[in-house]
Amino acid sequence: MSVGAAELVPGAPGGLEFLESRAEVAARSPLQLFWRRFRQDRVAKVSLAVILLLIVIALAAPLVIKIFGLPGPNVENPNLTDQFGSPLGPSSAHPFGVDSLGQDVMSRTIYGGRVALEVGIIGTGIATVIGVLVGTLAGFYRGWVDTLLSRLIDVVLSIPILLLGLGIGAACAVRGCIKGAIQPGLGVIIFLISLATWPYTARIVRGLVLSLREREFVEASRGLGASDARIMLREILPNLAAPIIVYASLQIPTNILLEAGLSFLGVGIRPPTASWGNMIAQATPIFNTAWWWMVFPGIALLITVLAFNLLGDGLRDALNPRSAR
Amino acid sequence: MRSIRAVVVAAIAAVPVLVLTACGSSSTKLASNDPFSSGGAQNPKDQPLTGGKRGGVLEVLNETEFEHIDPGLAYYNIDYAVVFATQRPLMVNKPNTYTEAVPDMAASNPEVSSDNKTVTVHLKTGIHFSPPVNREVISEDVAYAIERGANENVANPYIPTYFKVIEGMPSAKGGPVKGIVTPDKHTIVFHLSEPKAKLLVDAFVMPITAAVPKEYAEKFDKHKPSDYGNFQVATGPYMFKNDKSGKVLGIGYVPGKSMTLVRNPNWNAATDVRPAYLDEIRQKTGGSSPVIGRQVLSGTNVVQNELPAQSTVKLAYEKYRSQLEVSPGAGSHYISLNNAHGPFTNVNLRRAVYAATDRVALNRARGGTLVTTVQTHFIYPGIRGFEESGGVKGPRFDFNEYPQGNPKVAEKYIKLAGYPSGKYTGGKTITVVGASNPPAKEDAEIFDQTLKSLGFTTKLTLVDSATAYAKYCNVPKEEIDVCPSVGWIADFADPQTVLNITFNGKSIVSTGNVNWGQTNIPRINAAMTAAESINAEPARRKAWAKIDEELVENAVAIPFDWDKQANIEGTTVKGVGDLWDTGEWDYSWTSLK
Repeated sequence: MSVGAAELVPGAPGGLEFLESRAEVAARSPLQLFWRRFRQDRVAKVSLAVILLLIVIALAAPLVIKIFGLPGPNVENPNLTDQFGSPLGPSSAHPFGVDSLGQDVMSRTIYGGRVALEVGIIGTGIATVIGVLVGTLAGFYRGWVDTLLSRLIDVVLSIPILLLGLGIGAACAVRGCIKGAIQPGLGVIIFLISLATWPYTARIVRGLVLSLREREFVEASRGLGASDARIMLREILPNLAAPIIVYASLQIPTNILLEAGLSFLGVGIRPPTASWGNMIAQATPIFNTAWWWMVFPGIALLITVLAFNLLGDGLRDALNPRSAR
Repeated sequence: MRSIRAVVVAAIAAVPVLVLTACGSSSTKLASNDPFSSGGAQNPKDQPLTGGKRGGVLEVLNETEFEHIDPGLAYYNIDYAVVFATQRPLMVNKPNTYTEAVPDMAASNPEVSSDNKTVTVHLKTGIHFSPPVNREVISEDVAYAIERGANENVANPYIPTYFKVIEGMPSAKGGPVKGIVTPDKHTIVFHLSEPKAKLLVDAFVMPITAAVPKEYAEKFDKHKPSDYGNFQVATGPYMFKNDKSGKVLGIGYVPGKSMTLVRNPNWNAATDVRPAYLDEIRQKTGGSSPVIGRQVLSGTNVVQNELPAQSTVKLAYEKYRSQLEVSPGAGSHYISLNNAHGPFTNVNLRRAVYAATDRVALNRARGGTLVTTVQTHFIYPGIRGFEESGGVKGPRFDFNEYPQGNPKVAEKYIKLAGYPSGKYTGGKTITVVGASNPPAKEDAEIFDQTLKSLGFTTKLTLVDSATAYAKYCNVPKEEIDVCPSVGWIADFADPQTVLNITFNGKSIVSTGNVNWGQTNIPRINAAMTAAESINAEPARRKAWAKIDEELVENAVAIPFDWDKQANIEGTTVKGVGDLWDTGEWDYSWTSLK
């Protein structure tokens, strides 16, 4: 269903009578329109609340574990394993149980959230900036610039990121690569995620810019003597905001999963730093006797990814004037 | 001498088992720090060797693949299970012994000359090769078996350690070797360049002394690498299932999938100490160790013949204890510290981290007291010299006194090392490289925290087990400061096999180095050289025990675990494990109920 004119001024009586009273005319800004639509989406609102809660917990992790009376995420305690070395399960002192080193799983799950959000948000942010820049230049200038940047996108898309991650993990594990400049860990994960995802953003943006640059308002701006930079920044970019926000919000959970996957394969976050991926990987061999070690970081991962995905859906609906809602 | 590598890989489980029933804890308290205890499970020492029922097919479920099935190359527990069932070396260990080898292909114990430079072995008569060779084994077959080990297409890994003392062997490329003489069909004589007969005689239990028919094997040994293993013939009670040409590959052995041993029709039971009750042994290779563990514990006529997953051992102990065997004296694990480079060239820093290390915690992560014992020196239980070097308590040094670590003793040695604050302030980042599979991963993380508690800045890297060894810990030029869980298991019960390659400066090589800490203390090197030439007991074991004590005094590494290995069997299996090795099921002695 398309958005009718009446929706622009809710509460107005039918017909065009409202035009008679200028006091009643209240055209809404795009932000207001967005918010009006977004707040009607309960699922998206709950998702946003969950994400905000996760962010708060991640930022205040030391305080949170203090409130719960938990040990730090890297505090080992062999006395919390049984006589066979198997970790002990949930208890009042350790609500999520402990791992094979006697480290508190709840504490590590909370700190693992930091890593997930860091990688998801920063990685997506970098990829978005690069993607928007490359896509805008390619779409705006077309010709050889487009050809060059589009081939670059093709080349980057052909890089098997998982294998590259495994390769960097194996080759640079101990001494690092390029005189220690590349060291497996958070930085490399964010780099890989950015590398893997910016071309998709760039392709979307390029397509949109190719369309926008032909629109009248761009022509008008050009006719008024605006520079290319100004047209791109002031005329085109604002029109890209909605699709970029939607795409980025959906890319964050994908990147969180990619980090978890790389950590699961042992090329991500280094121990003893907690990451949901490496927690799940470490728990796998003894899942039958220490289910809590895998289940709780798994649930945290599930909730986070689900929340971002549902929020992304909500944003898409709210920002898209042609959406059903 | 073998480093413990893939035996721990079996503990890596790939697929979670979606069964949550085995989470209860046992009310049974395990034995304390007794290195010879099996904690109430079967002990190979006590297993009856007679009275088995003849016949039946034993199924073997192993996650781990063989490395080599060629008797000239086999050097791994998983390989040994089939090699010793199919081959007859000169001497053989009975399953329930650590140190008493008995003649197998040999007719009697080897005769050693008074100058310890000549060893004569008389062979049994009436032993024949399996089809398609079929003829009787003669002394030239034993000579060829050893000589081919020096052939670069075979490249036996322990020839340089035990057999280079034979005249002409150091320069041999496959034979004939000047020092190996066969005066008649059933006598073989070894002439040695040095008076070191004792170690050679001990090494007659190694599979390389199992006869190989030259006229049959030579064509396979010309290939690089030799593919004799895929066409091998047997002298033992079993043989790989093969076709008429002798081909094993694809028939009795499908790499990564299966292995089938059948009775050797030419085996002469009257000449063998082994009863060989079973008719056939069929192995399926692959799968997930925890899943295999459950299949075996709830199954019949089936065993897992590799280290079970830690969760399986716990389950077996709690619910299927009669199906669990724990074999004491199954090697040791220690933390290697780089003696040649970096902060740990300082002996007092080594002593400090030794003192601070919680060996109980490390062992608990490896499965607890059922399968570990706190290690206090390097010669491990079952090896001659264990008691002489201090037994369970070990050499009495203050840094060795506290199994759970002692921060005050650690502080004392850090101060002696030149750091008056009692914390390391040298600024050097310690590179720790460990294996990413449990329990090596846990070892690494626990020791990493120990180093941090002493003020060290560390860089902990966990990579897969093969990479950790082949690329880092075994390569001195990588200058790795700490390899947190290197393991060692002796080939036979002589202390030289435990200490010489691992701590003698002369054994340091640029790749494949197993003197992981690059220990090179001239006084100890000289003592080892002298001890190598001692042939009489108890002088020999005392000499090596003294060396062991000096190694501990110098804290060349941090010993933490005398291993015991768990093995599991199905309800109808009367398994017999090899005490002299890691307790793996010996197919020549195992039977079905």
